[in-house]
Amino acid sequence: MRIEFRNLDKCYGSVRANDKISLTLQSGTIQGLLGENGAGKTTLMKILSGYTRADGGEVLLDGTAVTFASPAQAIAHGIGMLHQDPMDVPALSVLDNFMLGAGRGLAQQRKRSAAQLTELSRQFGFALDPDATAGSLSVGERQQLELVRLLALGVQVVVLDEPTTGISEPQKLLLFAALRKLAEQGLTVIFVSHKLAEVEALCSRAVVLRTGRVVGEVQAPFSSDQLVMMMFGQCFSRGGRPAAPLGDEVLQLDDIAVHTHQLSVEHISLGVRAGEVIGLAGLEGSGQRLLMQACAGIRRVGSGRITLAGQDMTHEPYHRYLQERVAFVPAARLEEGMIAGLQIREHVALAKGNGHLFVRWDEAEAGARRLIDEFRVVGQPTTRVQELSGGNQQRTLLGLLPEHLRLLLLEHPTRGLDVESSRWIWQRLLARRADGTAILFTSTDLDELVDHSDRIVVFSGGAMSRPVSAADVTCEQLGYLIGGRHA
Amino acid sequence: MKARSPALQVLLGVAPILLTLVAATAILLVAGANPLAAFGQIISGAFESPRKLADVAMAMVPLLLCAAGMLVTFAAGLWNIGVEGQVVAGALATTWVALRLNAPAAVLLPLTVLAGMAGGALWGLLIGLIRTKGKVNEIFAGLGLNYVSMALTNYLIFGPWKPPDGATMSGTDPFPRAAWMPVIGTSRASLPAILLAVAGIVVIWWLLRDSQWGLRLKAVGQNENAAYRLGIRTSREIVLAFMVCGMLAGLAGSLQTTAVYRRLIPSISGGYGYMAQLVVLLSGLRAQAVPLVVLFFAAIQVGSPRLELRMYLDSSLGGVLQAGTVLFFLLVRGLRQRLSKE
Amino acid sequence: MKRTTLFVLIVALLVLGSVVTACKPAASTEEFVFGVVLVGPYNDHGYSEAHYQGAKYAETKIPGARMVYLDKLNSADRPGTTLEQVVEEMVAEGAKLIITTSDDFGADTDVVAAKYPDLPFVHMSGDNVLTGEAPDNVANFFSKMEYTKAIAGCAAALATETGEVGYLGPLINDETRRLASSAYLGCRECWETYRGGDPEDLRFVVNWIGFWFNIPGVTLDPTVVANDLFNSGVDVLMSGIDTTEAIVVAGQRMDKGEKVWAIPYDYEGACEIKPEVCLGTPYFNWGPVYVEIINKVLDDKFEHEFVWHDPYWKDLSDEDKSYVGFKYGPALTEDQQKDLEDYIDKLADGKTKFFVGPLNLQDGTAYLADGEKATDEQIWYLPQLLEGMEGASQ
Repeated sequence: MRIEFRNLDKCYGSVRANDKISLTLQSGTIQGLLGENGAGKTTLMKILSGYTRADGGEVLLDGTAVTFASPAQAIAHGIGMLHQDPMDVPALSVLDNFMLGAGRGLAQQRKRSAAQLTELSRQFGFALDPDATAGSLSVGERQQLELVRLLALGVQVVVLDEPTTGISEPQKLLLFAALRKLAEQGLTVIFVSHKLAEVEALCSRAVVLRTGRVVGEVQAPFSSDQLVMMMFGQCFSRGGRPAAPLGDEVLQLDDIAVHTHQLSVEHISLGVRAGEVIGLAGLEGSGQRLLMQACAGIRRVGSGRITLAGQDMTHEPYHRYLQERVAFVPAARLEEGMIAGLQIREHVALAKGNGHLFVRWDEAEAGARRLIDEFRVVGQPTTRVQELSGGNQQRTLLGLLPEHLRLLLLEHPTRGLDVESSRWIWQRLLARRADGTAILFTSTDLDELVDHSDRIVVFSGGAMSRPVSAADVTCEQLGYLIGGRHA
Repeated sequence: MKARSPALQVLLGVAPILLTLVAATAILLVAGANPLAAFGQIISGAFESPRKLADVAMAMVPLLLCAAGMLVTFAAGLWNIGVEGQVVAGALATTWVALRLNAPAAVLLPLTVLAGMAGGALWGLLIGLIRTKGKVNEIFAGLGLNYVSMALTNYLIFGPWKPPDGATMSGTDPFPRAAWMPVIGTSRASLPAILLAVAGIVVIWWLLRDSQWGLRLKAVGQNENAAYRLGIRTSREIVLAFMVCGMLAGLAGSLQTTAVYRRLIPSISGGYGYMAQLVVLLSGLRAQAVPLVVLFFAAIQVGSPRLELRMYLDSSLGGVLQAGTVLFFLLVRGLRQRLSKE
Repeated sequence: MKRTTLFVLIVALLVLGSVVTACKPAASTEEFVFGVVLVGPYNDHGYSEAHYQGAKYAETKIPGARMVYLDKLNSADRPGTTLEQVVEEMVAEGAKLIITTSDDFGADTDVVAAKYPDLPFVHMSGDNVLTGEAPDNVANFFSKMEYTKAIAGCAAALATETGEVGYLGPLINDETRRLASSAYLGCRECWETYRGGDPEDLRFVVNWIGFWFNIPGVTLDPTVVANDLFNSGVDVLMSGIDTTEAIVVAGQRMDKGEKVWAIPYDYEGACEIKPEVCLGTPYFNWGPVYVEIINKVLDDKFEHEFVWHDPYWKDLSDEDKSYVGFKYGPALTEDQQKDLEDYIDKLADGKTKFFVGPLNLQDGTAYLADGEKATDEQIWYLPQLLEGMEGASQ
């Protein structure tokens, strides 16, 4: 089945998730859909599979325009999507889940379904026990179950959203083999990922999205440098920001290791001086987020030593980091940064405190007003933060930061913001250098990294490169590093 | 929210009560009773005389205190189903003081109150620790501890605290007179109990609205993770919320023993902990609305035995009215949210 | 939305208030209203229902008598509702007599009665009149279940093949001690007289569960206790508790082929659960008691007294006359029933020794000297089980 997107638009509040996307995907192929988080891949696929509706533009299947009101309609048109988190019913058996949505469930059909499940499993080499409950399966097995379920429903297009997250290596190979077999049978497979290696291994063609737009379409064999450049964008010459004098060492990391069940970051050593800005580059999920969290005291380190201004902070709790004037501005502003449901002035009262039993509402109001004026927030002291636009949320978050900071950690400080907002935010951030604040930030924008950092470190698969001077590094070099090769 | 006509607003507001009345009327008609007369019995049974009003006031005491406590835990986003056990814990601590200490009323009564509050707070502390340290959902922790408190009460009544001539379901021996909360004249209303309940709801209303603590609780309730990032010690706040709630619930249990039953009886909590959940839900988590809702519940509770005495109706109808109102309130609220979305 | 909820509640209360109709029941001059307070549901097939039926019976026998009742007066079913409130309601209804029917209401009855010195109160199964705790307007009425327990004990002796009889006891107090001992006396008497047995060969064992019914975690499980008794060699199990475990367990064991019998308690129809194992049921018949109490009040003869009624010996099952009854069970053979009838006749005539010396208490101390007949008070306050019985006395 040939899929065409024509001028597809989708906005979430002020964020343009899909910006006039036009794209054609041929049947019988495995299509890679690449891009960083927030590039618009998932939104595009959700429109295709009926989970959400586009604001404008159209979707054509074999030349016919379609709109889906629900995933069921999409499946009826032959389009099925596998989500990042399995969408099965954990309490039901594998067979029951398999039969869900099929619109039949009597004993006779049950037998037929069981036979069908066995046949499909055999065909792809899956070992699914029909009587086990879905909840007892591993993520990879639940994915297999979901895949055979969609196939039994007769889908012609299979969309997989980041399918390799959280599954084992053998399961991954099994899945890839299955996908290749499906493509041979003439199905269209859309493989959504930000992992270059997997796209290179699997796909015959790759489309790269960035900030909601299609920035490139390439045929296999791919050059990973090329893909990286597409994902991270061009980098222009440095804007010539004023250099700030660096002070004493603020942060010292000695052979840090952080482990999660998905990724291990090891042997990280880095010294950061007062007034210094360090950019953390890399594909998302390469370890930079874990390091930031470790530096903020939010995540425990497995081994190594964290020293802040001469004090060993390795196993200190989070609030000790706050006392030592470390601040962390997360990318998920409304999930981790601010409290949806509370007003700006309530955030001010919480952030500043006053040591008294009662809130001085007049003071909080005045503080909120100052923040709104100074950080150009479009809102009122009584505006609830979830009603603010993304840029205004980010500005409010920055406005809530304490005045004198030793270390400021920022995840994607300008993601989703327009050029003017970004420029203004960086101006405010860099002004803090005069106060001796050291800044660590992550970004997927090469331009931003090169433009605002003193030094850049690149993460790839949990390993951190040696710091390079932002003034000397070329975009090509960064591209190599991000792609996992040594410059 | 879009502006809607005031008439619709009022209609949606009155709807839960009207729907409940319609449902109750249907039930009464099926039972072959005159609905108007039945509702009339409840109202007159609750409000016809100062003595009835005094009974209503006393029925409001435990509900007010439990609801005040639950406002705290609800503010922190916690579903404290363990209020029931906290009421019992307060009653147990009070009974211990009342039966073991020999002191004049002026000393003993304040001690019973403090013991009740401490007992409830301790029970709350347990739930809080299980939730924060054990990472067990507070609903399960609360329910589990409710059963523990029940078993503990039964054990004490049938064991160490049983009356000399044998254990009965009527509980321990009556407390010594010094541990009886004074009542107004010949009525059953105890002024200290009523004042404590009023103070409880007023203080909580004030603290939740204007204190730093209230604001922190709200932050924890809306987004525990972000509150933690903002520097709030969320575990401590959660434990504290359970303890404050337990303190108020424990006070309710304490007053049930010293001002109503004058002894410890099995099921001393009488389900007030669960009823308070309905009260708080029906008040939309707002302290100002709690007294009125409590009045509504207490009036039905005091008035409904008349249904049986005069009309030979099962007095469970009172419970049907209470639960039905909450149910229809939630239904109408859901409907309202749908309407405002469109 | 916020404001309206408040508003709505006010409106609702006002609306409800406006429909209050002045519908006080028209009290006829001949009407006599009496209040009955029950601890359990009026239809519990047990203790509370027996009282409810008794009061209903009185309504049919006394013209103009009208019962107002409130059931389920316990804190689990009616939190915060006290006996005092209920009595107030009943007085407002015109009640001229209050009957409280649970042992649990004893202390509260005295307190409330003191507040209504002109209103007669009857507390059933209490003895606060005897002990002097009750105010002058309280009377205690009870019936001598001791005799029907003795008859039940006799039935057990007639049926047993192993010579071992079990008694499933509730908690230990004066009442339960004397009932278990009565059963033992009847059992021993018939074992000697009709079976020609030696009392030394008769085993009578009482196991207490801890309360009138099963409370998980507090009492022993009566089902387990019943099975333990059967396992120890008992083949007739008498029940002293409010619930039906004894006959249920006996029925289960009979179905497995064992030769066992049971004697339930309290409820006239209890044999119906498993007629094949049932030797009979001793039960209370409250109807005549209620009639008597109401007539006393009507005739202005109500007194501060402790009344303990004998059965109507001519016909234990006469529902108009006998305060306690014994219903023969289907498992009783014809010969056994004849012996039992003979025993009942002797019991009525005082020809058989029932609480007559020599009798020792369980620890061997003398209770009654040779030929000495126990007074009512000696029986009511029996301090221990009797010599020859197995089981705890305290």
